[in-house]
Amino acid sequence: MTFSLLHATDFADRLLYKIIPPLKAGMIVLADRYAYTAFARDATRGVDRQWVRELYSFAVRPDLALYFRVPIDVSLDRLMARRVKLKFYEAGMDLGWSSNPVESFRLFQGRVLDEYDRLVDEFGLEVVNASGSITEQQRLVRSVISRHVQTTGAEMTDDEPL
Amino acid sequence: MTSPSDPAAPPEGANGGIQPGLYYGRGIPYLPIEGYPGKLIAIEGTDGVGRTTQIQLLREWLEVKGYGVVETGWTRSPLMQPTIELAKSSNTLNKLTFVLLYATDFADRLEKEIIPALKAGFVVLSDRYIFTALARAGARGIDRAWLRSLYGFAIAPHLVFYLNVDVKTLIRRVLEARGMDFWESGMDLKTGDDIYESFRSYQNRLLKEYASMADEFHFRVVDARRPIDRIQDELRRQVEAFLEPVPEKAPETAPALTR
Repeated sequence: MTFSLLHATDFADRLLYKIIPPLKAGMIVLADRYAYTAFARDATRGVDRQWVRELYSFAVRPDLALYFRVPIDVSLDRLMARRVKLKFYEAGMDLGWSSNPVESFRLFQGRVLDEYDRLVDEFGLEVVNASGSITEQQRLVRSVISRHVQTTGAEMTDDEPL
Repeated sequence: MTSPSDPAAPPEGANGGIQPGLYYGRGIPYLPIEGYPGKLIAIEGTDGVGRTTQIQLLREWLEVKGYGVVETGWTRSPLMQPTIELAKSSNTLNKLTFVLLYATDFADRLEKEIIPALKAGFVVLSDRYIFTALARAGARGIDRAWLRSLYGFAIAPHLVFYLNVDVKTLIRRVLEARGMDFWESGMDLKTGDDIYESFRSYQNRLLKEYASMADEFHFRVVDARRPIDRIQDELRRQVEAFLEPVPEKAPETAPALTR
């Protein structure tokens, strides 16, 4: 519960200082993770799903939410290639499912992915196959985003006279 | 941000069907608490109403009677206390983060202090409870339904004593004891620079918030303007009646209650 509430507090702070002001100014905000991360992780830790959703009811619903889906082995390989040690909470070690960090990561993140799959339908997340190359993914992301954002000249300039 | 496919679910918890010793709302699924032998007694009231004094006296009395007693108090969690102090001293705290920090502190004490103590059969005396959070957040205009859903993980106390006082008495007590402080005066609400006026109007709002919760959460309202020992007598009488109820069919030879 404290894990969930601390993240919500952090999120509320960022929402009010970093997300809402630029939105009011008409800017595009790119959020690296959003409330969906909390929905997936907290539910995996045994927190009531509906409670977490209600907790985050103060969040702004994104105009577009991308979910980069990747099999557990691919994500493990990528992490292990970059660094030697998995983070304690990232591997869900606090749950005590396994004393082996890699095994714990596999169990925990596997459950997190199951939760994300529920969210795809519930919140209409756009799924991006993240097993592909960076270029492939970026092309896909750009095409999805360009469908949502019309970068016409008119919108890029302020309509108020100086 | 609730699910779009999910029609606005009725606010969970709080209203109606409160069962002492169980969660108000959705609770904590990984911590089932049914059947725990301990008792949770909350003492509520605004700043300077004499809660802490009453709890000390209540504790001594209960311990002499042979009960194991655990105390817990607002923002006293080891995890959150330093953070809350730090956040209060900076100017970055807003209404929402304020509420969430309090909720985190409460969740920590619930999981680490209150639930284990109830499981072990202690009497838990809570100096303030979620009603403090609901009153403070309510006075700051936070959505009531959201607050009740947020605190749906709280346990309904077996007894809630609300030490009730009027603003005039409260002001004198606080000034005699230690003076008015920034947060207790609701200076963050920026109603004006005059701390006295701010204190008066903020505490008035808090008293209204508490009063509005009295029925909803089954408060036992205690007139806190009386002398300390009179208040204590009343608390003890009610606690005793709850912890050691006299059997209905008690013969007239039953020994008189002694203190």
